[in-house]
Amino acid sequence: METTIPTQSNSTRTWLLFILPVILLAGVIGLFLFTNGAGLNVKPVVPIETVQFERTVLYPGVIELHVRNNSPQPIELAQVIINDSVWPFTATPSKVVPRLGQAIVTLKYPWTHASAYNIAVFSSNSIAFRTEIPVAAETATASTGTLLSFTLIGLYVGVIPVLLGMLWFPALKQLGARGLMFLMALTAGLLIYLGIDAASEALEIAAGLGGPFQGVGLVGIGVVATFMLLDAITRRQVGVGRSEAAQRLTLAFMIAVGIGLHNLGEGLAIGAAYSVGAAALGTFLVIGFIIQNITEGLGIIAPVLKDNASLSSLAGMGLIGGAPAIAGAWVGGLSFSQPLAVIFLAIGAGAVFEVAYEIAKLIQKDAVKRPMPLTVFAGVTAGMLMLYITGLFIK
Amino acid sequence: MDNQDGVTSADQPNDLSRRDFIKLGIGSALAVAGASTLAACSPAAPSAAPTASAHQGMQHGDTNGYAEESMMPGFEGDVNHAANGFNPTDILSDFDYGRVSTLPSGQTLREYDVFAAVKTVELMPGIQYEAWTYNGRVPGPTFRCTEGDRIRINFTNGTGHSHTMHFHGIHPGDMDGVYEQVPPGGKFVYEFDPEPFGLHLYHCHIFPLAEHIARGLYGAFIIDPKQGRPKADHEFVMVMTGTDLDFDSENDVYAVNFIPFHYDKHPIRIKVGELVRVYLANLLEFDPINSFHLHANFFHYYPTGTSLIPGEFTDTIAQMQAQRGILEFRYKFPGKYMFHAHKTEFAELGWTGVFEVES
Repeated sequence: METTIPTQSNSTRTWLLFILPVILLAGVIGLFLFTNGAGLNVKPVVPIETVQFERTVLYPGVIELHVRNNSPQPIELAQVIINDSVWPFTATPSKVVPRLGQAIVTLKYPWTHASAYNIAVFSSNSIAFRTEIPVAAETATASTGTLLSFTLIGLYVGVIPVLLGMLWFPALKQLGARGLMFLMALTAGLLIYLGIDAASEALEIAAGLGGPFQGVGLVGIGVVATFMLLDAITRRQVGVGRSEAAQRLTLAFMIAVGIGLHNLGEGLAIGAAYSVGAAALGTFLVIGFIIQNITEGLGIIAPVLKDNASLSSLAGMGLIGGAPAIAGAWVGGLSFSQPLAVIFLAIGAGAVFEVAYEIAKLIQKDAVKRPMPLTVFAGVTAGMLMLYITGLFIK
Repeated sequence: MDNQDGVTSADQPNDLSRRDFIKLGIGSALAVAGASTLAACSPAAPSAAPTASAHQGMQHGDTNGYAEESMMPGFEGDVNHAANGFNPTDILSDFDYGRVSTLPSGQTLREYDVFAAVKTVELMPGIQYEAWTYNGRVPGPTFRCTEGDRIRINFTNGTGHSHTMHFHGIHPGDMDGVYEQVPPGGKFVYEFDPEPFGLHLYHCHIFPLAEHIARGLYGAFIIDPKQGRPKADHEFVMVMTGTDLDFDSENDVYAVNFIPFHYDKHPIRIKVGELVRVYLANLLEFDPINSFHLHANFFHYYPTGTSLIPGEFTDTIAQMQAQRGILEFRYKFPGKYMFHAHKTEFAELGWTGVFEVES
């Protein structure tokens, strides 16, 4: 190879070499399309049709089904049968739904409160897609009343417990080096547990997404991208060369963000359940959430116990950690979207994993001065067990 | 119903575990969740229209007074009868007397040509169903002859499966259409002197039987008594049917003469005082029992039509598969009168019709 500066003709040649496989690919695809499978018999016996029921909305005398076409080709929605009755319906924007397109099927149907409904939507190829309304109740709409109750839910399960947990700050400041180390490890344990919880929740919803959405892949992207982004941000800050105290404060804020994202996911699910009406939020359940989430407040303050964090930054961290539960409850209660829930939960999982990793680095740094491996082990295990045991109240 | 999310615990929310609770949230968010405001801002905005009207109704203070009378089962529009090649309105009374000739013995011969074919039929608007048909229609032709006649049916199988024509009635075993399977492209001639007089039926008898019948290979077969029946102003054939759209061995829709809701959309017109005779047969597959209920009237019922003396005076009768009978009635008052299966599920799934009685 000669080491000449690329000339005009050289760069053209590079371009051509880049484009050649693309041209060939287009040729192969063309061959496949025009010869109807290039020798393969790819025509299915019956058209492959799948439909995802994304939401069901009930108003007095009206049932709306939000359906998405997950099949390889357009689908025509031809007839609807609800509880053994053929029922007239309209579909907007159209009865013909393009691939990955959405349609809202509206039935003017005299549904009654607390009854159950089985609905079959038939495509023009006589393929039935079935869904059910286990307990019919009017869908919550964004009135002042419902917004207030969703706000209250978020306050009870997010903001209040996190702030309560942070009230241990003065008491924990009295801890010695070993106690602090234990607390840091405990926080890492808490975060790992929350991350596992969020990831498994995300995977569970992801399993229900239609095939083309590749739910598990979506979870992977959410977790890994969030982890890498937070990691990159931290490394840049270290590079800037700030004081260790400032770095610990940043870490505390990051823990708050991670926990906040986790609470956002939790709020989504609670809001969605609450809006169904079927799941009236039991007192016992709310108490359970408060007990479990109080440990999250503890985790946020752990890195800054050595320092004199200002009241405003503590309050700020508390709100960052807890308030997303309110936003989550609003969104979950008023407009639940599965793909969105998967993404939020995955981001939450990635964030808490990364923050746990940051704490691990901090522990590593302190351990250089004075190693306490059993304290770390005990802390992490205790953190995970703490969430496990408080979880027994609500699981 | 099976309740995958265990939502029956609604009365006892404290028993919900957190996991169930969150699952419920997510599962039911599919089922029930959402909001007009956000939906209206989202690309799904077209839903705002019905939503808005529903809410207007509420603002006027009628929380449960939505117009239930406008909420009737059925579908909008109509099927393309021309493309289907048959119309249930015509099937009601298009009796097929065959090509008539006289045998050297003096006996009347009625000859029919029957061709079995697979045909895609629009069962309901937008729903294409691959039916198996005799002469391109479901139910198949209504053969009609008189006691003492001879019938000859030249059967050709134009489908990819073996089929037969199995007639109910009294005839020799080799004319019974069970063991003489007619392969694809094959022919068979059924020839016998049908008896006894009454309403009978025919259907394919190839196994699996349920599938061959449910797909549409059936029809009615009338043998009139020698002396005839009292002259009626209208004679209608009604074959009670069901269709399993998704092939799960359960009927999805029901009908008289195959197309659901047909006589609901196209009422049968009669006049006060006219004698109406209905030849009613049940060919419903998968469900054990079918029924017929006439509104605001009573009818004389002749089970299997084999006697000229009615067996019952009633307004509702039940028939199991292959049971059949003749109904006779007159309407006393003008008006619109429903007739339907008094298994209301069947009625709302298509087995419902209307007599429109004019004065």
